[in-house]
Amino acid sequence: MLDRYKAYQNHKFQYISVDPTGVILESDHGIFPVTVQTKLQELHPFFEILSSLHATEKQEHQFSCINLEVHENALIVDLVIALQDKDSILIIIENLSSHYTSYQLAAQSRNESVINSQVLELKNEYLLEKERFKNNFIANFSHELRNPLTASIIFGDLLDNSGLDASQKGYLDIIRAANKDLKHKIDDILDISKIESGKLILNTTVFNLKALCDEIVGTYRILAHEKGLEFQLDYDKKLPEFLEGDAFRIKQIITNLLTNAIAFTTTGHVKLALSLNYMRAKKANLHIVVEDTGCGIAKKHHDTIFERFLKIESDALDSQGPGLGLAIVKHLITQMEGNIKVDSTLEEGATFSCNLNFKISDYSPSLKDELLSKQTFTSNEKHHILLVEDAELIQLSILKLLAATGHFYVSIISKGEDLVPSVLDHDVALILISNTIQDVSITDAASAIRKLPRPYKNTPIIALTTQAYKEDMKRFKKAGVAHTITKPFDENTLLEAIYGVLS
Amino acid sequence: MSKAKKIVLIGHFGVGKTSLIRRFVENTFTKDYKVTIGVHISKKEVEITDEASITLVIWDLEGLDDISKIRTSYLLGTHGFIYVFDLSRPATYENLDTELQYLKNNYPNVPTKVVGNKMDLVNKAFIKQNSAIFDPHVDFFVSAKLGSRVETLFSKLAEALI
Repeated sequence: MLDRYKAYQNHKFQYISVDPTGVILESDHGIFPVTVQTKLQELHPFFEILSSLHATEKQEHQFSCINLEVHENALIVDLVIALQDKDSILIIIENLSSHYTSYQLAAQSRNESVINSQVLELKNEYLLEKERFKNNFIANFSHELRNPLTASIIFGDLLDNSGLDASQKGYLDIIRAANKDLKHKIDDILDISKIESGKLILNTTVFNLKALCDEIVGTYRILAHEKGLEFQLDYDKKLPEFLEGDAFRIKQIITNLLTNAIAFTTTGHVKLALSLNYMRAKKANLHIVVEDTGCGIAKKHHDTIFERFLKIESDALDSQGPGLGLAIVKHLITQMEGNIKVDSTLEEGATFSCNLNFKISDYSPSLKDELLSKQTFTSNEKHHILLVEDAELIQLSILKLLAATGHFYVSIISKGEDLVPSVLDHDVALILISNTIQDVSITDAASAIRKLPRPYKNTPIIALTTQAYKEDMKRFKKAGVAHTITKPFDENTLLEAIYGVLS
Repeated sequence: MSKAKKIVLIGHFGVGKTSLIRRFVENTFTKDYKVTIGVHISKKEVEITDEASITLVIWDLEGLDDISKIRTSYLLGTHGFIYVFDLSRPATYENLDTELQYLKNNYPNVPTKVVGNKMDLVNKAFIKQNSAIFDPHVDFFVSAKLGSRVETLFSKLAEALI
């Protein structure tokens, strides 16, 4: 019985005796056969180690987990190399192949898992970096487009009042519509960029829901009628009058849905319905529905319809280009903690319905008056406006626009260093300053003005900016800027701001 | 046989030590990762000049994220080191300073080549962006997959061993 165990052990161990140069003197061939009087180094390069042993004082060296390929057999062994005397070295080899193979399987699985998680982490970082680059690119790109577009819009407005004949007016209408479309597209792209970079901040104010709805309906009823569509409004009288929320963004949600509804409908109607789901704890939950009888959306697209730049295989949709409008709607509603769904059958129209929660505002007549009143400019005297702008197109646009009103004298400077002397030398009623001035920022300019003696330090400032981020607006306000206008702007926007600040 | 010199490849697991050796010794590459346990030893003769050549006995050690944990018996009689890291995994080169300092302190006279492998997965801009990490230490940026600069790496180390 014991002999059998010994025989088993014989297959696990091998004893080899070599001289100091590695020539084999004797071997029991326990694991693999060797030829006496040949060099062990020729069997496997591991045994080159023999030449290094004399460099240490140790008499015995242990080596674990050595992969040996001998006579085409792959072995994993532990070895002991013992210096016997000056003429011989004993090598004991223990074959632990099966033990180490099972360890290898565990190590393989562990290492692969670690490597995969590191690679995933990197891929994620790379994607985030790519996203940041994209958002910066979009912001810069939109910044570059704003000056020329502002000039185009303002000159379009000026041309409209310059006695054009019917045919010229027709051409101008096309140019103005294209300008408007381009402005919306830039705003949409910038909005998506802001949303995706987490920079879109909702600006909560008190607003009149009915007034907001009337304003939207006024515009979209005309657009629908121009296309031969019926426009239906269903407004629930139980809805509270004043709510707290971001009116601009709520309007954007409704108008984006209505724009799509009109665009994809050729016959029938477009309907806007606002109703009250419920009121609880001074909060109102609104149900907003935009319905059309247009080309509809195939069921397979319902889950992806809100993704940006989605292209659906429909002639009608393709002709409208990328669907940023719905992506913005979805993001805004999500940010407002609401929900939206689409119900549609191809060729039968679509119904978008969303639910949004708002705080109900405390009603007060004075607040109502304040919200409903519009500031008007009744002064007959002429005001001196100092325009600080380095883009010649914008200089010319604003000069023409303000001169046409008959209310203003305009001085123009294009360098920041001329700002303070100009304010001190002239009786300036208002400063319009652009953010593209090379040598001074809007905040630095505003600070410089605020440091002047009275009455110069109180000169109101309106910023004309291509930077449309909320944090920029906040910075300007903190620096003492009375109002900020984002380029591109039109005649009305600029005049309303100037009249508002001056009165 | 020409004079044998032992060189040892060290670095984290999965950085491509085995692939570099395969590329150098057999001129082959496989993208499948197979973990090395313990040590594999191979050899190749390298011609330094028309008259001189040496045989590199190449020890391919199991990857470890801390080289101070390497069994000292594996490093007995080492003539040269190749420290390999993976350019596509920062975890494999974030402690480069400490690792190389350890080698310098414990094996002060042993020539060492520091190698960023998997150059095929990154671009030159990436190398430039990380120049503060790489410039002070790295001798070669290589790709075992493409075979780029692998031969040069071993040849240069072999020259340093003469």
